[in-house]
Amino acid sequence: MSKRSITDWFAEVFHLKDTPFMGVPDYMFSVEHWLGGIAASALAWQILTGLLLLFYYEPSDAYTSTMGIINTVPFGSIILSSHLYGAYVMIIAVYLHGLYIMFNGGYKKPRGLQWVLGVLLFALTLGVAFIGYSLTGDVLATDAVDVGKGILTSLGLQSLIPVLFGNGTQLDLFSRLLAWHITIAAAIILFFLIHFYLAEQNGLMPRGRDVGYKAPAVINKADPSLKPWWPRNFVYMVGLAFMVWGIIVLAPSILALPSVYHNIPILFSPYPGPSPTSPQAASVPAYPPWFFLFMYKMADMPFGLSKDVIIGMILPLVILLLIPAFDRSEHLHPMDRPGITALGLIGLTWLIELSVWSVLQPGVPVSPSWAAVVMLPPLLIIAVGVYAIHRFVWPKARDKALNGNAKAGEGKKEWALSKSAASALGYIAGIWAIIDIALSLALNPLAAGPYIGLLWGSALLSLSAAVFSYFYASYL
Amino acid sequence: MSADVSAAGPTMGRRDFLKALVFISGAVVVAGMLRGLDFLMPPEIGVTAFPRLLLVDENGNPIKASELPVNADPKIAIFPYPLNNEPSFLFNLGDSSGKPVKIPPTTVVVPQTGATYEAPGGVGPYGSIVAFSAICQHLGCQFPELTFYPPGHKAITAKGFLDRVINCSCHGSTYDPYKGGAVVTGPTERPLPSVVLEWDPNTDYLYAVKMVGPVIYGHPGYTTPTPKVLANPLGDLQGGSPIKGKTTAVTFHTNPAATG
Repeated sequence: MSKRSITDWFAEVFHLKDTPFMGVPDYMFSVEHWLGGIAASALAWQILTGLLLLFYYEPSDAYTSTMGIINTVPFGSIILSSHLYGAYVMIIAVYLHGLYIMFNGGYKKPRGLQWVLGVLLFALTLGVAFIGYSLTGDVLATDAVDVGKGILTSLGLQSLIPVLFGNGTQLDLFSRLLAWHITIAAAIILFFLIHFYLAEQNGLMPRGRDVGYKAPAVINKADPSLKPWWPRNFVYMVGLAFMVWGIIVLAPSILALPSVYHNIPILFSPYPGPSPTSPQAASVPAYPPWFFLFMYKMADMPFGLSKDVIIGMILPLVILLLIPAFDRSEHLHPMDRPGITALGLIGLTWLIELSVWSVLQPGVPVSPSWAAVVMLPPLLIIAVGVYAIHRFVWPKARDKALNGNAKAGEGKKEWALSKSAASALGYIAGIWAIIDIALSLALNPLAAGPYIGLLWGSALLSLSAAVFSYFYASYL
Repeated sequence: MSADVSAAGPTMGRRDFLKALVFISGAVVVAGMLRGLDFLMPPEIGVTAFPRLLLVDENGNPIKASELPVNADPKIAIFPYPLNNEPSFLFNLGDSSGKPVKIPPTTVVVPQTGATYEAPGGVGPYGSIVAFSAICQHLGCQFPELTFYPPGHKAITAKGFLDRVINCSCHGSTYDPYKGGAVVTGPTERPLPSVVLEWDPNTDYLYAVKMVGPVIYGHPGYTTPTPKVLANPLGDLQGGSPIKGKTTAVTFHTNPAATG
């Protein structure tokens, strides 16, 4: 049959059956094992839309050219707003990926370098997002650049200001921001490729119970029961990528709908804020992008800016980089590694606390007593709590938790979908995607951008559902 | 999972059918979203009507018609009109003794289609001042490749050595500015578009008010000189940034044809 031969032909010309990528056990077809894949899918979307935006962005006229993309270029509003939300999705995926690895000991042998590259990718991702956000030249971008200069100065790095932000002219500022944005994006791509290469060479990390919760946790790639990468992993990856792209297109399109747009807080606005020279600029709170809200509050802390920055940004990064050196034990279960577990939980709690606080009291200086009231209780509760569980509860529960888990896990499939139902879902989703696209053809790309985005996002998600249904019906 | 389904699974035929649908759905979604490549089509910029612009020098002082050098010798005057990327020649045409000559309105034929249009006559105290697009209609070469050969300075053309012509050294197209920019020799098939000028005898100021003739090279519709287009070449108004303000600056350049 011709359909068959197309797939075979595709596999043959790309030598997909000979790819060095590893096949994985069935249980790995679950989203927590694909968080890195989500970040990579978002990165792909960022590269595509970023290159398209390069056709119109003018450093000589940053704000006007950015708004021109939204208002005068066909599909421009979708491309620009999805580039913003693609960054958001990538940042969230990088956080989740990193936390999952941290709590499950994925940084241990043989994956130490993989972890270090991951931490660098995390820092580069936040950096490229900060610069991308500044490129719009809106009132928040202007503030962000000024704060960036202040942070460099507080660290004694004022000689870097001209390198990063130029000689003071608007043209040099935005030319440099654009050049840095692309340069850092290129570094991210390079580091990601090495990170991915190492992930394949070290092999994906198996679940704890398969290795007795002990490092080194590796899968024997020669195991004959492992099914090959092609076509299962390929199909799953395609479904995942469409899902991520669907979310990236759908979310900002909903927020950009005329009935919704004016009720969206500026932190999540799909479009840039007002120009710094416009009268509305005065009414905008001086927020950074939401992923730097924690730092905004840190800068209000009573220690002085340079210490705030070191505590808020430099120290956490150094600690993250050094985790594989601190924790050299063979334990993988979070309760066997109370120090790292507590560290992760405290860091995460502080991150959320500071971010929320920053939204509620933007730029309000923090008195030492308030800093203590907000920051110390989580530190004490988590540190004491994790230690207490580790010391008093875990020794009794450990045996059952590590070995009993295996039994509990096996019985989990009872709710599973029948294959016929999955096929039916696949048909519905596939046809739904076609209908969405057909409807989108009737809309004007300039006047109805958000509506086209809605239909595109819906089509991508439906297509993803169809691919996953096919995957489920055929390969599991 | 119920036993009957897990044992047999869907039949091969049904699974193939789902696979085909997923393929089709994927192809439709990707093809439908390729429409997004319309993004690469830049928004049109330009103006909606021919602007009436006062000709000024680089310092913003109005050009005096009676002080314009005759025969573009040794300096040739160029100004943008109607958009910034549309340079035009400003000539005070004269005879071999350097005296301005009156240029009458004339009917110009477009060799490409045989259509005709009325080129304006000269303006100014002697009726000798005319202006043309400074972009060759053949393949778009501009000054200094396209330039005016004053009396006594001859260009090598397909019809021998000629002076008092606008000749393009890129491919040899030759135009006659004394006859409305009409084609003298190919390869061009279209005359040089004329800028319609006005002269205010009270102030001696010059104004550019509109264009007639083919659309300026490279702008929308320049290859289709129909009578309607020739009378009102609206394509000139698209494909370039508008000139800000009510004036357009004339710059003076050494004419290589006059010095050579």
